[in-house]
Amino acid sequence: MDLVRIDAVHKHFGSNHVLKGIDLRIGAGEVVAIIGRSGSGKSTLLRSINGLESIDDGQIEVDGEKLTAGQTDLRALRQKVGMVFQQFNLFPHLKVGENVMLAPQVVKKMSRADCEPIAKAMLAKVGLAEKFDAYPDQLSGGQQQRVAIARALAMQPKVMLCDEITSALDPELVNEVLAVVKQLAVEGMTLIMVTHEMRFARDVGNKLVFMYQGKVHESGDPKELFANPQTPELQSFIGAIN
Amino acid sequence: MAYHFDFIAVWEYREQLATGALHTLGLIAVGATLGVSLGTLGAVSRAWKIKPFDKIFTVYVEAIRNTPFLVQLFFIFFGLPALGVKLDEWTAAIIAMVVNLGAYSTEIIRAGIQAIPRGQIEAASSLAMTRAQIFRHIVLRPALQKVWPALTSQVVIVMLGSSVCSQISATELTYAANFIQSRNFRAFETYITVALMYLVLAFCVRWLLNKFGSHFVNGRKTT
Amino acid sequence: MMTEFTLWDIIRNLITGLEWTVGLSLTAFLLGGAVGLLVLTARIGRFPWLQKAMKGYIELFQGTPLLMQLFLVFFGISLMGIDVPAWLAAAIGLTLFTSAYLAEIWRGCVEAIPKGQWEASSSLAMSWVEQMRYVVLPQALRIAIAPTVGFSVQVVKGTSVASIIGFAELTKTGGMLANATFKPFLVFGLVAVGYFILCYPLSHFAMRLERKYRGSSSH
Repeated sequence: MDLVRIDAVHKHFGSNHVLKGIDLRIGAGEVVAIIGRSGSGKSTLLRSINGLESIDDGQIEVDGEKLTAGQTDLRALRQKVGMVFQQFNLFPHLKVGENVMLAPQVVKKMSRADCEPIAKAMLAKVGLAEKFDAYPDQLSGGQQQRVAIARALAMQPKVMLCDEITSALDPELVNEVLAVVKQLAVEGMTLIMVTHEMRFARDVGNKLVFMYQGKVHESGDPKELFANPQTPELQSFIGAIN
Repeated sequence: MAYHFDFIAVWEYREQLATGALHTLGLIAVGATLGVSLGTLGAVSRAWKIKPFDKIFTVYVEAIRNTPFLVQLFFIFFGLPALGVKLDEWTAAIIAMVVNLGAYSTEIIRAGIQAIPRGQIEAASSLAMTRAQIFRHIVLRPALQKVWPALTSQVVIVMLGSSVCSQISATELTYAANFIQSRNFRAFETYITVALMYLVLAFCVRWLLNKFGSHFVNGRKTT
Repeated sequence: MMTEFTLWDIIRNLITGLEWTVGLSLTAFLLGGAVGLLVLTARIGRFPWLQKAMKGYIELFQGTPLLMQLFLVFFGISLMGIDVPAWLAAAIGLTLFTSAYLAEIWRGCVEAIPKGQWEASSSLAMSWVEQMRYVVLPQALRIAIAPTVGFSVQVVKGTSVASIIGFAELTKTGGMLANATFKPFLVFGLVAVGYFILCYPLSHFAMRLERKYRGSSSH
């Protein structure tokens, strides 16, 4: 049973055809790493899964919620899709706990009393239970990103989208964030991530998608693809990274 | 509503309107040139703490920015003659505009000067340039470039504000409007027309200054 | 009216004028703020035709002299056969003027909120109203305080134009006193001092707020 179905999705930025007919099936519990050069459309693809980018043609379906070209009301779909950003995007005027509780309170209309245990549990899961009353700017980049993960988890999404979530971090802070993501993968969360962490993609992922010029150029088991790239483009991409 | 609009009654006075508009443009042309020049002097005095001018300009800027233009105009036109300084309405209007714009542009340009990276000035100093040379060749153009949009807005604001010069009988655009509506008794139509004329003037002044800015201040065309 | 005015007479009359200036300023600022909030909502809202209309409204008020706006309100309402007192025309005109400027200032503040804040709240399934209410406006409000206080100085100074349509605030009172006393230098000097007393603290406060909030992004 596919949790995420992407069918014939096209997207243009002006005259630039960024997504040229993407088809992708992702099952529940899969951990998918999308790789590719900048400009290959990988970030755009990820962002269209929860409608941050509108699509021009095709259809995306997440757990029965459909998203088509020109659609504007995405609230039902977005409740099932969590997202973590490169730049964290925590709400700077709210404390950490409030960041995590905001969406459950205003979107799901839960009471604060009901939200608080969930928020605390999610913060504990990312190892930051004691930061409940801190403000985001009192945290390190790695801690902020873990709060962002907890914030997305608090909506109890079916899928998590991770958009280069370690790219803005200092090298010594990358691992604490990856450890949290790995834990989520182990617990069975469906993850779709655009990443530059090739080793992480290989070790934790169970599906690798290589994007090239707006298309899925190659996809399959990460370990096999890394060991045995079929196309010269993927070969040179892996070569350039190593 | 039983009222019938009659814009023909305004059209009959097109010559007065055109003359008024030209006078308004003339006022702002002179006012802006002198005002921004004064502001440049003020800005460099304040930014580089040139004594005693920095203090003088500080007091001047605060005095002007915290009082209405209309009161400044009345003070110059009605008040100064009491000290033996007699001014005709145009001189008074221009002085008031220069003094007013001078204060605002002092602050605007000062911000531009202070945004010039320290290293630029240090590099120029290390090349044995004098302070005047540094200002002329290194600081002035980038500073003006940076604040040109703000200066443009301020010039437009001062031009619109010059409509109160009608109160000292300077025959600019608003004066023309007052004159016309006293003749044709079509106040609403007259003021609507003149308001739209100001809108067009504001647009033209902004357009001209943008052009001027990209040619002379930026020094190179950006495409 | 008496022909002999003592300095105290002049000051006493000017203080009365000053009180009307304060009253008109407060009215215009508070009502203008309320109307400005509506204009802002429409200006940044999701209806393109409303956005365009509000853009036009703002450009109209920022592109014409305040004096013209007061004349138009004054004579425009008279057209409908209603006799408008000067204070009412002045209050309406200045309210509209203020609303246009404040809406534009606040729009700048809303647009200064990083795109990531909108994206993060979108991805949490929040609606436009919820994003505004819980994420964008609380942050925009913080950066809006200094320029809003700064604009209040423009409102106070703008009320002087109401003297031209006959509202006896500080400038008008000054004009009458100058005629009656033949001491225009003294009277207009005092009028200027009156405005300075009102405006300087506001300017100073705005500047301090700006320094305080510049660079600090939270709490």
